[in-house]
Amino acid sequence: MIRTLIVDDEFHAREELESLLLETGEFVITGKCANALDAMKAIKKEKPDVVFLDIQMPVIDGFEFLGMIEEELMPHVVFVTAYDAYALKAFDENAIDYLLKPVEKDRLTKTIHKLKKSIDAGHRPAIYSNPEIKRIPCIFHNRIKLINMSDIEYVRSSQAGIYVVCPPGEFYTELTLKVFETRTNLIRCHKQYLVNLDHVDEIILHEYKQAEIKMKTSKLVPVSRRYLKILKEKMAF
Amino acid sequence: MQVFLHLIQAMSIFIVVAYLYCKSPWFKPLTTESLSSKDKVYLYFFFSAISIMGTYLGLPVQDAIANTRAIGPVLAGLIGGPLLGTAVGFTSGLHRFSYGGFSAFSCGLSTTIEGTMAGIVHLYLIKKHRSESIFDPRIAFAVAFVGEVIHMAITPVFSRPYADAVELVKVVAIPMTVSCSVGAALFVSIIRDQKNTYDRIAAVSSGKAFQIAQRSLNILSRGINQQTATDLAKIIHEETGVGAVAITDKEKVMAFIGCGSDHHLPGSFIASPLTKQAIYENKVIFIDGIDNQYVCPLSETCPLNSVLVVPLQIDDEVIGTIKLYEPRNTRFLNINKSLGEGITNLLSNQLLISRYQMQKNLLLRSELKLLQAQVNPHFLFNSLNTIISILRNDADRARDLLIHLSMFLRNNIKRVNDISTLEEELDQVKSYLKIEKARFEERLAIEMNIDPNLLKQKLPTFTLQPLVENAIKHGISNMLEGGTVRINAYRLNGSTFIEIEDDAGAFQGEIGSGGLGIKIVDKRIKALFGNDFGTVLSCVPSELTKVTINVPMEAS
Repeated sequence: MIRTLIVDDEFHAREELESLLLETGEFVITGKCANALDAMKAIKKEKPDVVFLDIQMPVIDGFEFLGMIEEELMPHVVFVTAYDAYALKAFDENAIDYLLKPVEKDRLTKTIHKLKKSIDAGHRPAIYSNPEIKRIPCIFHNRIKLINMSDIEYVRSSQAGIYVVCPPGEFYTELTLKVFETRTNLIRCHKQYLVNLDHVDEIILHEYKQAEIKMKTSKLVPVSRRYLKILKEKMAF
Repeated sequence: MQVFLHLIQAMSIFIVVAYLYCKSPWFKPLTTESLSSKDKVYLYFFFSAISIMGTYLGLPVQDAIANTRAIGPVLAGLIGGPLLGTAVGFTSGLHRFSYGGFSAFSCGLSTTIEGTMAGIVHLYLIKKHRSESIFDPRIAFAVAFVGEVIHMAITPVFSRPYADAVELVKVVAIPMTVSCSVGAALFVSIIRDQKNTYDRIAAVSSGKAFQIAQRSLNILSRGINQQTATDLAKIIHEETGVGAVAITDKEKVMAFIGCGSDHHLPGSFIASPLTKQAIYENKVIFIDGIDNQYVCPLSETCPLNSVLVVPLQIDDEVIGTIKLYEPRNTRFLNINKSLGEGITNLLSNQLLISRYQMQKNLLLRSELKLLQAQVNPHFLFNSLNTIISILRNDADRARDLLIHLSMFLRNNIKRVNDISTLEEELDQVKSYLKIEKARFEERLAIEMNIDPNLLKQKLPTFTLQPLVENAIKHGISNMLEGGTVRINAYRLNGSTFIEIEDDAGAFQGEIGSGGLGIKIVDKRIKALFGNDFGTVLSCVPSELTKVTINVPMEAS
């Protein structure tokens, strides 16, 4: 059985795809998500084998969404779209397959075939080497708020999750620290912190090789011994 | 008495000169409002010649000359100002001085004074905004009269022996004063009459041109075709009064009005080689009917024998001709010739403007097509997918949605009229929203608040739907928990306002004008109702995006 996540912003589209997939008897549906943020959460939690992904979604489209998923968590991807302007691009992105809405059963059978072949052969899902992430989706007032990378001072991880810190405040995001570290210009300075050098005012050195970063907004960010050296190099001390 | 007769003779010669002068091309500058310095040089020579001629035509009296020299400088001063007057007076005075005689100096001096004095009168009249009085014969009379009186007064002062001078003045004073004054007055009156004739002709022809321009304006905005060409030809025929008027395109006669219309038939191919030549060479061709005869290629009994062919052009490209004809018994008037050319220029300009307008409308239409096309594929397939899904559980609802989808599509294809009522627009929006509601379900709420009196309000077709679609596509669909679209229509201060708003407040871009879709809607409203109306976009980030449409209220 293939563990499957369905991501589509339309309720009936999710229902229809679920029905079609279940009818084949090949799938277990681990979740149905209406937007990219929910989908990130679901991927981290359920680690599905495959995601059936709508491309046109609110705020973060399918492609952008894939660029925000950690390599280890990346599932196989089948694009599902209403309009085939995206089809070519989908193949550029090395997706297993793409389906057009409304989905035809015979066409779905072919997709399942490709999918099983790839999974049985133990192929790792393709990596979506997207360009640098420029804007971070965060939850704000029940909406997805996009924060420009250049506005972010630092990112911190806590028990409650990952928070993006900007001059006006903190915002919750589903992106992992690993994604920030590999796909943005933020620099790791601590196990739980990444910092945007453009917002750094100074590094305050304490005794015993301890240090703190003072941001231009006077906020303090801890620096661990392990990352201090790298940080100094980056700041060209 | 003999002196008198002699001076009247001399004066008569001037009158003839004045008459000839008025008929010559050198008279042209006097018909305009202001004189160029080149014109003044011509006038200097002309009036100096007149004045010197006055000396030569004079009668020797007691070692002096009874003469009409004063007319030249007086006229020069009156017409051209103090500089010209003084120059003419001085030139002629110097000539007289060189002539000799006991009164040589006083004569030369007084001629110069007379020119300067007339020039001062000229300045005075200009300053008092009475420039039309410059050509008043009474003024010319008065100036010459006063000038000659001064002349007579000066003579005994500067001429020796004094007794001879007094004797001379006694003999010549009356004849010279009278003949100079009357001569100057007559000369000016001839110039004035000729000038008036010119003005009258100019007034008549510009009046006609204006009439034609005004009447043809509306016709040409419809572009040029057989009907508009016929209407135009009628107007030109009526206003110019020529024998016949024809309008052709590059191949055929589009319209023919006037005598000869029995065989010059609209729709037939161009027969005249003159017209073909005018089109081919893009030049005006004129056959005056005197030196050259127009020979009708169609009928031997054709009464027309003179013609003017003017090419009609847009952007330097000949698109046809306008032809003016006169029959055998009528001379082709110069005024009609220049009118014909002027009108054609005017029409060429108007055609250019109307072509530009047409292209602008075409652009609006194609933009509209683009707008409609943008709606289709994504919306359509997602809708079908939604309906297929609903079909599993609720066949009735699926059927209902299919009916709305058909209605929406039919309207999108069918509505070719540019203008719809608010009611029709709302019907289209309702079909659209019904389907969007099924797609987004609880994520989309809809509120409508429409003043029922406004349902007949006229709007450009496809005003509402693109805006509602924007509100969903760029607004509500980006809200995780969904949102509300509101459509309000109400009257305020004699205008009708229609608002489309969403509570996403996600608009990013130019506040006021909005994106492409809104700009097209705005342009079409302005095209229909004028620049006082249109759309305005306002946005409170994360709270509200609102497009307000303002159109004039229908008279109920």
